[in-house]
Amino acid sequence: MDANIIIKLKNVNFYYGENRALTDITMNYQKNKVTALIGPSGCGKSTLLRLLNRMNDLIDGTRVEGEILYEDKNIYSPDLDPVEVRRKIGMVFQKPNPFPKTIYNNIAYGPKLNKVSSANLDELVEQSLKQAVLWDEVKDILNQSAMNLSGGQQQRLCIARALAMKPDILLMDEPTSALDPISTAKIEELVEELKKVYTIIIVTHNMQQAARISDETAFFYLGNLIEYNKTDKIFTKPDVKQTEDYITGRFG
Amino acid sequence: MRDSQVNTMKWRYFQQSLFFALFRAAALIITLALGGIIIYIIINGISAISWEFITKPPTHSMTKGGIMPAILGTIYLTAGAISIGLPLGVASAIYLTEYAKQGRMIRLIRVGINCLAGVPSVVFGLFGLAFFVILFKFGSSILAGSLTLGFLILPTIIGASEEALKAVPQTFREASLALGVSKWQTIYRIVLPNAMPGILTGSILGIGRAAGETAPIMFTAAAFFTSKLPSSIFDEVMALPYHIYVLATAGTNIEETRPIQYGTVLVLVALVLGINMVAILMRAYMRRNKRW
Repeated sequence: MDANIIIKLKNVNFYYGENRALTDITMNYQKNKVTALIGPSGCGKSTLLRLLNRMNDLIDGTRVEGEILYEDKNIYSPDLDPVEVRRKIGMVFQKPNPFPKTIYNNIAYGPKLNKVSSANLDELVEQSLKQAVLWDEVKDILNQSAMNLSGGQQQRLCIARALAMKPDILLMDEPTSALDPISTAKIEELVEELKKVYTIIIVTHNMQQAARISDETAFFYLGNLIEYNKTDKIFTKPDVKQTEDYITGRFG
Repeated sequence: MRDSQVNTMKWRYFQQSLFFALFRAAALIITLALGGIIIYIIINGISAISWEFITKPPTHSMTKGGIMPAILGTIYLTAGAISIGLPLGVASAIYLTEYAKQGRMIRLIRVGINCLAGVPSVVFGLFGLAFFVILFKFGSSILAGSLTLGFLILPTIIGASEEALKAVPQTFREASLALGVSKWQTIYRIVLPNAMPGILTGSILGIGRAAGETAPIMFTAAAFFTSKLPSSIFDEVMALPYHIYVLATAGTNIEETRPIQYGTVLVLVALVLGINMVAILMRAYMRRNKRW
């Protein structure tokens, strides 16, 4: 396996009941790169993202076919615990969803339950908040409720919370769609920084955002992977007409 | 505006004020009825209340003395009912909302629970008699009474707990699970604490019912008269609701015990309100951080 490939999808089909939401997806994700998943609503990009950390398991009546290999292991193989998968593959959601706990406890929650000693916890919290460029804003109010933060701060807190688990991969599901332009810019800068350490896969509705922050872009339409290539290529000279039509705003 | 339009507007305003007035009246009637009952009880019962009344057992064939054994018995039975009903009810609700695959089986169980809520309390009493008192040989005891009352309040607690669990945003669960936290840890650390205020509301209703019910404890726990206090959960006890029933129907001298009856009712109402207050304060304390 190519050393630069971190996740490998082989002929993945996904069903909600009888409905096929993803058709025969085969693709590889590059290590330490930002991969953007784009496409119109209902194209299956979020579904695909949630397949990668087994969040779709939470929905009754779903079914996966094919293989998703991470570290050469199929994350859907019966002897692999989804909890283990999620420890390695973190996620940031569309709407900021901090717990109704203090800022400190939001970050410490995951590590604490995964047996990180409390001696190292303070350090870990500080480090995670610094990575998410939130530390300077909250260092004096760590014991206040996270619910008091602004939407943009909450979303960076959620990123810090995911980073505290020291994952390999960070999945981001439209992380800026609920934020104002300034908060969005901050998160985008953050993604640039984070890709040095983490592999990032991001779903976005915002074409400029995909063009700005991603190295690779995958275009989905009606559950099919239409085109997957370097972002530069996709946004300047796409191979498929559908991709071009979507990117130039002719549909979608 | 044309005349017809003006008329329609007038008619609408009239409709609006009419219905608001009706709603206001309905709310007022309820409040008045409740206030009336409580004031009536206080006026008639307050004269019976004294330190002796709440600390001494009945004497002179219950025409004199206090009701201390009955107060204590009701506290024991209520506490017992809650400590059986709450864990069992919350556990069932967690299973139904968080673990069970939604389907026909679960729908059937829910129908069962709702039916349980509609079963007359005397049936619970007879069930307790047959099952706990006779079959399990607990005898008429605090244990048998608490179990019976616990089952009686189970539907209330399950219903309230289910609602409370469902009200916890799904995004909290997802956030926790996405951190590689197990399902049980997520429920225990995130879902339950956030559902607790709602669960307590359900238990408050349960407490009120457990403390006030007569029929379920008649055959399972309540003694007509004992001056000695229970020394274990296998002893029978006096209880306020049953004591009221006894004084009002089977006492040696119903007229003479009238003030004691009102006094006992007042104590029971105060006790239920007191327990409710504690639960309400706990709920308010837990809710202080709730904002989503």
